[in-house]
Amino acid sequence: MSVYRSPGFDFSNSTRNNFLLNKGVPLPKATSTGTTIVGCVFKDGIVLGADTRATEGPIVADKNCEKIHFITEGIRCCGAGTAADTEFTTALISSNMELHALQSGRKPRVVTAMTMLKQTLFRYQGHIGAALVLGGVDPTGPQLFTIHPHGSTDKLPYVTMGSGSLAAMAVFESKWSANMERQEALDLVILAISAGIFNDLGSGSNVDACIITADGTEMLRNVDMPNQRVQKERDYKFRRGTTAWTKEDVRKFVVEETVTSTDEMDTS
Amino acid sequence: MFLTRSEYDRGVNTFSPEGRLFQVEYAIEAIKLGSTTVGIKTPDGVILGVEKRVQSPLLEASSIEKIMEIDNHLGCAMSGLTADARTMIDHARVTAQNHAFTYDERIKVESVTQAVCDLALRFGESVHDEEAMMSRPFGVALLIAGIDEHGPQLFHTDPSGTFVRYEAKAIGSGSEAAQSELQDKWHKQMTLKEAQVLTLRVLKQVMEEKLDQHNVQLAQVTKDKGFEILDEARLQAVIEEM
Amino acid sequence: MADMVSIPHSQPQQHQFNPYTENGGTILAIAGADFSVIAGDTRQSEGYSIQTRYAPKVFRLTDKAVLAVNGFAADGNMFVKKVRQRLEWYRHAHAKDMPIRAIARLIQTMLYSRRFFPYYVYNILGGIEEDGTGAVYSFDPVGSYEREACRAAGAAQSLVQPFLDNQIYFKNQTPAPGTSFPGHLSLSTVLSLVIDSFTSATERHIEVGDGLEMYIVLAKNSPSIQSLRDIRGMSELTATEDGERVFVVRRDLKKD
Repeated sequence: MSVYRSPGFDFSNSTRNNFLLNKGVPLPKATSTGTTIVGCVFKDGIVLGADTRATEGPIVADKNCEKIHFITEGIRCCGAGTAADTEFTTALISSNMELHALQSGRKPRVVTAMTMLKQTLFRYQGHIGAALVLGGVDPTGPQLFTIHPHGSTDKLPYVTMGSGSLAAMAVFESKWSANMERQEALDLVILAISAGIFNDLGSGSNVDACIITADGTEMLRNVDMPNQRVQKERDYKFRRGTTAWTKEDVRKFVVEETVTSTDEMDTS
Repeated sequence: MFLTRSEYDRGVNTFSPEGRLFQVEYAIEAIKLGSTTVGIKTPDGVILGVEKRVQSPLLEASSIEKIMEIDNHLGCAMSGLTADARTMIDHARVTAQNHAFTYDERIKVESVTQAVCDLALRFGESVHDEEAMMSRPFGVALLIAGIDEHGPQLFHTDPSGTFVRYEAKAIGSGSEAAQSELQDKWHKQMTLKEAQVLTLRVLKQVMEEKLDQHNVQLAQVTKDKGFEILDEARLQAVIEEM
Repeated sequence: MADMVSIPHSQPQQHQFNPYTENGGTILAIAGADFSVIAGDTRQSEGYSIQTRYAPKVFRLTDKAVLAVNGFAADGNMFVKKVRQRLEWYRHAHAKDMPIRAIARLIQTMLYSRRFFPYYVYNILGGIEEDGTGAVYSFDPVGSYEREACRAAGAAQSLVQPFLDNQIYFKNQTPAPGTSFPGHLSLSTVLSLVIDSFTSATERHIEVGDGLEMYIVLAKNSPSIQSLRDIRGMSELTATEDGERVFVVRRDLKKD
């Protein structure tokens, strides 16, 4: 085996996997954040929003996951698509942004993060399934972008992504206006995410939001919780001894030792 | 009646000006030429009895078949052109099996009777420019006996496709005398045994030959055993009890 | 990089019209000693979209039979329509309501008659047998059927059925020494299990939610009527004087 390993992903199994796929062996399913994520510009900054449902096919894998990822203090990124890809890519870019800030000695800019993300995603030709909403405030002012899995980007005053993007965009298209107040913008983002939560099966549970201004970043985890579980009709406690066993083996873990004194060491 | 023949007694689907269908009426007349057949209902089951006309000493009496099984819970006795009854009973059997297959339950006595009567009426059917399926009405009357969720029942059908439920009924050549005898002797709480004996007594009265185990046939439908034709030994036992 | 070359599609590609879709949702039925409960959620979906939040999947056929259908909604609705037509024909031909055992067999023959172009539907039939016992019959799309004590079908079958096996059949549970598990559960227990099945399926399956409809069929003079007294959102649907009674309970489920 060669000592040299090329950087990045290892594709050496793709031929084998394609062969297996044609034989009818399906690839393992990745957790996907079905997702509604949005971003919106207001007078003093950016509001980002996300639902908290993670799915594996039709099954809810996580009822309260976090989809607004930390990039830098003033930049956050919402992720939709393959959960591992959004988590890993944003964490990687977060690290590189920190290094970049240290190296340049300047406040990190949103465009920088956007460029790093799109270049990463483009390099992998869409195989990294991350659809992102990137927002933040830097010395150039409030910035908001979307980044698609193949690496294309948009710069818009209000954006939505994920399976609930149409539901959320419908809200923005009917209610968004320029120069909104902070509370107004937050309410609109909550409304847009709620539209995704209730009308898109891939989205659900709670609303997370993040307000970024020049003065600082406020992460509003579970800012709205419209889907609390109702009380169960019965409680399902099982009597001790309910589970049958085939054999019983009791072992003592306390080590008993006896100290016996022997003759003194011969030191002569 | 045979003297008043007119152009109306040919077509099976043409009414006479008096509102009669002669072919159907003639078919009903044909039954009056048939051997006598009796059915009696009791709370425990239904008895069917027929006279077999053994016209020649060379004839095998056992080959005359005038009582037939439709399903385990249904039996049928006939009088008239017995060959026609074959078609009707085939239809009844298919209907009963089809019902059991589709619904996993025994068909009701009235339902199977209705199905037979539906068939009896199809002599009038013919598609334009096509050969009609039936050329004439059936010349046979049936006594359909059976047990279902409404208990034991006895139905009478005739060539007009009409059916009526009876407590006791006689059809065939001796039916008039037999029916009045049944009216005298039948009562509500008859046992199966009494009904067997009455059936034979009634037949005996109207038969020309001396009744024995070869020239009559008895059958019954009971809740426990369903339809069964009494074998000669059991028939002999009933004859002795008369 | 040679490894990354995808396998070329050298074979001819065949495209076919697919007349079926899957519309999500879940149904469930449990038989008691003298009652039967048949339930279903009311969400109808296609992919990630909700088509309607109220599309009934459970239907009263007679006062002693209720049918739940799940799978391809268009087939399900048409199938119920055809079963009802056959029930009416039967009523006219035989002057009685079809017994549940006969309905079960009828459904089998109707499903199997479409063996090679099936109704894409899972059926669960619940109600009261002629002998007054609670009954549940479950079917596959081409008519294989079986009488059971309980059955879940549809999107969340894999979530609900193991729960039912554990709580109804007491699978994987050992009774306390000197005791045994009950053969039949009470109506109030069954209703609680049904509600919990659906609220739980709503939590973990994206295609289940919006509303819950529970039909309850009671045998003649069933004492179980007592446990229906304090049930919220209940109404009676009984149509005949035969003695069996049908009730429906409607509840909200989460809408996300």
